[in-house]
Amino acid sequence: MSRIVSSEVVRIYKGVHTWTGVIAGLALFIAFYAGAITVFEGPLSRWTAEGEPPQSIPIDRAERLIERVLAERPDAQAEFRLHLTGPERDRVYLAWQEGRKAATQWTAILDAEGAPVVAERPTKGAADLVDHVHRTAALPGGLEFGTTVMGLVSALYVIALVSGLIVWLPSAGKDLLALRLGRGVKRKWLDAHNLVGIASLPFHLAIALTAVVFGLHDSIYAGLDRIVYQGQMRPLMQASNPFAVAKPDARPAAMLPPSELIERVRTLEPGLRPLKLQYRRAGTRGASLVVWGEDRRHLVRLMGFTVMSPVSGEILDTQYLPGHQGLWSRIVSVFFALHFGTFGGEPVRWGYFVLGLAGTFLFYSGNLLWIESRRRSLARARDGSGEHIAQRRDTRIMAALTVGVGLGCIGGLSLAIALGKLLHGQVTHPGPWLWLGYYALFLGSVIWALRLGAARAAAPLLLVSAMATLCIPLASLLIAQVPLSQLFVRSGDAVVAVDAVALCAALGLLWMAWLARRRARKGATDSVWSLSEPSPLQPNPTAIHQHRESIHGQ
Amino acid sequence: MAGMQRDWIGKTSAGLVLGLGLAFALAGLAAWCGEGPGAPNKTQFVMWLVAPIWLGVQSLVYLFRSGARAWIWLGTANLLAFSGLVLCRHLAG
Repeated sequence: MSRIVSSEVVRIYKGVHTWTGVIAGLALFIAFYAGAITVFEGPLSRWTAEGEPPQSIPIDRAERLIERVLAERPDAQAEFRLHLTGPERDRVYLAWQEGRKAATQWTAILDAEGAPVVAERPTKGAADLVDHVHRTAALPGGLEFGTTVMGLVSALYVIALVSGLIVWLPSAGKDLLALRLGRGVKRKWLDAHNLVGIASLPFHLAIALTAVVFGLHDSIYAGLDRIVYQGQMRPLMQASNPFAVAKPDARPAAMLPPSELIERVRTLEPGLRPLKLQYRRAGTRGASLVVWGEDRRHLVRLMGFTVMSPVSGEILDTQYLPGHQGLWSRIVSVFFALHFGTFGGEPVRWGYFVLGLAGTFLFYSGNLLWIESRRRSLARARDGSGEHIAQRRDTRIMAALTVGVGLGCIGGLSLAIALGKLLHGQVTHPGPWLWLGYYALFLGSVIWALRLGAARAAAPLLLVSAMATLCIPLASLLIAQVPLSQLFVRSGDAVVAVDAVALCAALGLLWMAWLARRRARKGATDSVWSLSEPSPLQPNPTAIHQHRESIHGQ
Repeated sequence: MAGMQRDWIGKTSAGLVLGLGLAFALAGLAAWCGEGPGAPNKTQFVMWLVAPIWLGVQSLVYLFRSGARAWIWLGTANLLAFSGLVLCRHLAG
């Protein structure tokens, strides 16, 4: 390998790896930490009770439910969804929203007399917040702007991955499994960084490339339209748009009962487990029905679906139905599945969770290595300035940002999740409160770290994020209002798992707080992690030193 | 391999301009070859090709000995790919 990758190539690619990593690392830390949590978005929203399905009625009353809601609520006619719930998916409730953005969600069931009971559905505060932070790193400026920036960050991340691989190649095989713990701090971090990076490289490449596409697809489509399709892309896309297959026709028409429509989908594909029926233009000849469902045997996007006419029962489109897709649609579904981890069930989900957290370690250790290679060591640079050598200001700032951003994100997300559970049912739109909690902890941590420096801030901030994370199981205890012995009987497995994972995380953070405190007090003094370091807000002491000399010289 | 230049600006700009150009041209070739661009959902697949090709070039562009060489080689590749695209489109249309 060393013959292919010359030392000159390694030198150049070290530069590429360093600068792409330094620019993208902190944003990627946030995206990965939040992303690991979004893998379990379902259990999380069941834990906060936000995802708890509203009251439901048996499926044989669904036809009447649709009829009555359409008669009383014309705003539901354009589009509504019939959700299938219960372990056998044989119970239903109806849901629709008012307005496209900032929508109010409504749900409806029937009472014993057959009259519709309409209720406003609380928004998914915590799960939405985690998802938003994952996609935008909580950058201000809205979802679209944030995802575009993260698309560019992900492009740097791809380049960082390839350049990191090139730098590592000459030492391939020699160092991979060698964690040289005894041979200096930098060696140890470098070995750990390489081990995690190489072992999870396929995962990182898949995540990075798909994230670039998710962030930049609008611009790429616009470019393709002009360069490749000569402005004719829209009609091409419209031709294979499954939602445009049914043409509007406002003449009234009777629709088949939902159970029969489901039966027709089952006949076509017995492997699909329907989860919701999405009606458009219900009650007209031009009505369309999208039957959403899961099929664990295939790599799919979040869900597979088929389009049919609820009037005739005819299947209109199977481009997104697992097992019935065309070649191109099937390939693209694989890309989506690789990013979301929506294949292989629970083991893959846990794998993605662990790999996501390992990813945060990759970016954290990358920053540590950047700092460590710019370290001024006491042994090398005795310039007679006394016992202590202050570190360069850029490394002090980088260390403070690494600590403040990382722990601010961890603490902020934990606090928002705990608040999500405490405020559920108390507030209809808890979103703004959760964001307030997230930003308060995040910005507070960053400012605190920049003022005090990494060494002084690390242990207290680890303690704060441990406490915030501990709030998650505490919120469960507070909300439960039942004897402790019954708590675990009443709540589902997923709910207990959220509390258990949060408890483990809190204990892990406490352990790290203890380690950080010990390092700050007893570790080497010629390091950004030593208590004797000045705040990053102060300029380089050597500059002051030179300044004094120049004054004395006059 | 003596005399490998860093030439950050020359190489990076070659990747940004000609890497992206090559990515669009090759994605376009894929669109117009075989089944043609009208196959169901092929537009999506073609869109997915752009980022990996561009970032593959952008990542490896620093292997060129200089920025000038990167511009010459990638420029030639662009010329060939875009000629192919025009030809393919002409034959299909």
